[in-house]
Formats: sequence, structure tokens, C-alpha cells
Amino acid sequence: MEPDVRMQTDLGRQKLYSPITVASGTFDLENLDFFDQEFLGAFVSKTITKQPKVGNPPPRLYETEAGLINSIGLQNPGLDSFISVHLPRLRQQLKVPLIVSFSGTSIAEFQEILEQLEDQEGIAGYEINVSCPNVENEGIAFGVDPKVVYELSSALAPHTQRELIIKLSPNVTDIAKIALAAEEGGATAIALINTIWGMAIDHRNGKSRIKKGIGGYSGIGIKPLALALTYKAAQSVKVPILAMGGIYGWQDALEFFWAGASMVALGTANFIDPLSVPKVYKGVQGFLAERDLYLGELIGKCEL
Amino acid sequence: MNEIKPGLLQRAIYSREELSGDYFILWIWDEALGKLCRPGQFFEIRAHASLGDAEDSRCLPKLFKPISIYENAGGRIGFFIKKVGSGTASLAKLKAGDTLELIGPLGNGFPVVSGRRILLVSGGIGYPPLWYLQKELINHNLIFWLHGGAGQSDVFPCDEVWTMDGSFGKQGMVTEGIANLLNDKKIDLVFSCGPMPMLAQCAAICTNLRIEHYASLEAYMACGIGVCHGCAVPIGNPDKWDYLRVCKEGPVFKAEEVLWNLM
Repeated sequence: MEPDVRMQTDLGRQKLYSPITVASGTFDLENLDFFDQEFLGAFVSKTITKQPKVGNPPPRLYETEAGLINSIGLQNPGLDSFISVHLPRLRQQLKVPLIVSFSGTSIAEFQEILEQLEDQEGIAGYEINVSCPNVENEGIAFGVDPKVVYELSSALAPHTQRELIIKLSPNVTDIAKIALAAEEGGATAIALINTIWGMAIDHRNGKSRIKKGIGGYSGIGIKPLALALTYKAAQSVKVPILAMGGIYGWQDALEFFWAGASMVALGTANFIDPLSVPKVYKGVQGFLAERDLYLGELIGKCEL
Repeated sequence: MNEIKPGLLQRAIYSREELSGDYFILWIWDEALGKLCRPGQFFEIRAHASLGDAEDSRCLPKLFKPISIYENAGGRIGFFIKKVGSGTASLAKLKAGDTLELIGPLGNGFPVVSGRRILLVSGGIGYPPLWYLQKELINHNLIFWLHGGAGQSDVFPCDEVWTMDGSFGKQGMVTEGIANLLNDKKIDLVFSCGPMPMLAQCAAICTNLRIEHYASLEAYMACGIGVCHGCAVPIGNPDKWDYLRVCKEGPVFKAEEVLWNLM
């Protein structure tokens, strides 16, 4: 595939040849059977934690009228297994930059994971998932407190020359402040949004559709919220924004670019149409070519 | 393990068959695809409606639905479906000539055996994969098939029928018939597919009598290809178990390894 200069973008440091990527946990090497991986500007792997996580009890999924509720519980084999088993496979099969998503239960643990990953080759950047409970702060998620987000990103930033993307939770009062805190702490980019809280109940018997009750809601239903938060964050930070939340078609992607995203990720869309990535790529590319625009010329140029 | 790479396929429905109640069959024709299929495997299917190429993407397309293979005869592949939710309702609207989108075949099927005395146990929409299985096994094994359903519209051809309302066959849960049959017919292998409580009960009986038992599980799925971990079920033994994926390591599991009490 020929790189198209109109589609070039970045997440702070490295030039990327496509502004389309995938949301962590919704995409893996299996998906590359469906299309040429070079439609992706980067590949974001499923969030890993230091220790293996068994995940949440089933049922873990429910498809709503407009989007999906999930409660996977970050099931993953842990950092050691990621490094010894999955990472070599990713390195071998990927031709696009790899962004490793990880999470921790304390700032020290985030640092430990980063240190171990820094020793590994073939990683272009990190996506820091701050939606998990902080054991040092009464189990409150890292991502809700600007002070903690600042501490976390400033604890990680000096130790890497790779992209450092802080992925924010939408379940907060002021995402602009938190985005700013991440930027001030040294993040090279901000990713948003993670899933919003969601729930569904079987009206016939009152039984929750998800075993744990509340899950993470994604897909088309959260798009207006994701777009608003992208716009809000873009008003407050200078670093690039990797936006996601309900992007299904290329028209959706363009809305996020106008709102201030330098790159967009597809998540739930990968489940609904495994060819979403190339379709969104081609749609955006066609739009830019028709108007003789470069992607950078419309990022953040939303008119009120 | 299934090493066949999934792809996204589009196939015309060449015929549609109406069955009792909410049941219907969609048939496609693909010889090469048929050669890849094994009993117990499934496809992710849905009505053709893709994202991103529409002028306006603001329609609300839904996930694929995992549907097991009902029949596979020289590439004549059937999907025997029950209308239950909005996804299967959209499949129910399809007619001959319409396009079906498919990913598959997916998952690991039932073990293909010979020289065994086999009991098949199905409940409701658990019937279709066992139909495909018995066709593959019938020439090399002795087979007896128990099927249960809510009422007579949930009854399909087999050796013994049970209905909850007694409108057809014997009245009660299909599992009530298992223990006696296992003895009388000297069964040494059980294959089951159906609602979770039925499978759990069947597993309890087989474990008690030390009879080998494979169950095909159903789960809500998002990706169908092992990526999202949405369909995971607890597999192993009480001391050491893990959530395995129905779509990838399943849908067929050794029933004694399924931790039914955690489901």
C-alpha cells in the first residue's frame, strides 16, 4: 500500500502514515486476516497488567439498542506472559507501529511495567489506561483526579523516549483539567474516551444483563459524548488527541478530526464490521483528495 | 485447535425453509467452504449491511450472531435459526436471493469418533449442531437422541421427545430421561447442546456415572474470533481454572471441565 501524505499524522513524536487506529481490547492479530494492516497508523494491543487477571464472571456482554455493554474485567495473561509469548508474535507480524496498553494498581507498579517494557524492542509507544482503581487512593480510579494523573504521567515521562499516551476515562467531572494534567506531566498525547458506565436489565424478570451489573458502554450511542469531550480536551491541550467513542463510519471519523483529534480509533465498529478500518481510511482519504486538503488542515477547525 | 483463518464472506441465500414456531433455516451453497466445516463449529452471520460505505452512517447496524452449522452436505450449508432477539429477528426477514455476511467456520467442533454408544441430548435451539454431528457419526457408532423443548413447536426429529408442557412426547425436562437411558443403552459417550441448566444437569449425571461428555456452550459474542474475551466461560478444575473463550477454545468443551456453578 502506498502511503498517502494527506493522511499523515502523529501522536507527539513519530510520524504515522494513517490517522486510523484501533481501541485497545477490540482488535488483535486475528483481525489482520480481514484487511491489509497498513490501513492502520498504529496497532494498540489489549491492556496488560503486572499480574495475570482472570477477568469478570459471565455474562460479560450485552448489545443495546445503540452500542455494546462489556464487562471483561481486563482479562489478560499478565506482563511476563505478554513479553514472552504475545509480544514476539506482535513484533513478528506487525509492520505498523505497536502501542502497548497497560494499567497498574499504583504509580510504582505503572513505573515497574514501563521499565520492563522499555527493555523490549519493537514498541513505539504506550497507552496508559488510567480507568483502574488506585489501591493507594481508596480504590478510586487514577483517571478521576487531575493531581494523580499529573503524578502518574510525570512519573513515567522521564523514563521513555517512546510515545506516552494517557487514555482518559469519561466518567469524570472535568476532562479538560485531567487532559491538561496529563500534558503537564509529560504525556505526548491524550487518548479519549474509554467506555462510559452502562447497564441493561431484562425487563421481564429484573435480571441484570451483565453479571457485575454495571459495565462499560461503547459504540454509536456514546458518539456525541465522545465528540464533546474530544472538543473540550482539544481546547485545553496542545498535544495530539487520539479520539474514540462510537466511530463507525468515515463521516464519524471526520467529525472527530474537526473537533480536534489528530488520530481516531475504532473499537466496537471492528465487531460490527471487520472491514471498518479500511472503509473509514478510504472514506477519509477520498474526502481529503476531493477537496485537496491535508488531514492537518482540518484538525480542530470545527466552526461554531 | 482450529488453524483455519477466518475471513469475511458474502453469500447469497439460495433458499429459506420455514419450520414450526419461530424456527427457520437459511441455506447457502459453497463447496470449498463446506470442506472446511466440522460438526459443532459455527459461523458469525448477519444480514448484509456494512458500515462506512453508506452515504450516511447514522443507521444502527448490529453485531453478527453466532449460529452453529445445522447441515453441510457437499457445500449445501444450513443455518437453523430461532428468532429470539433483534439480531435473529433481522435474520428472520431474509429471503432467498438476499445476501448473508459470514465469518467462519469458527471454533472447535465435537470429536469425531467411531465404535461408540452415543447419547445425544439437545434442548430447544441446541438441536441443529447435533443434527450435523449425528449425520457424521451415524455410520460408525450407535446413536440415541433425546430432544426436549418448551412445547410442540420446539420438537424436531429424534428418538425420544420431551416437552415441558406435555404437548408432545413425554412431559418434563429432557434430562429426566438421561439416567435410565445411559444404563439401558450402555451409553459410553454423551454429546449435548442446549440451555445452560440442561447442560449442567446432564453434566452432573454423566460425571456421577463417569461417562465421557462433551457439551457445546452458547454465549453472547462480540467478535467471534477470540479477540474481545466477551464470551468467556470458567473451564478447568475447582482449584485451577481460567476463563476460556466459547468462540475460540469452544464452543465444545469437556463437560467435566466446565465449572457450571460459576456460570
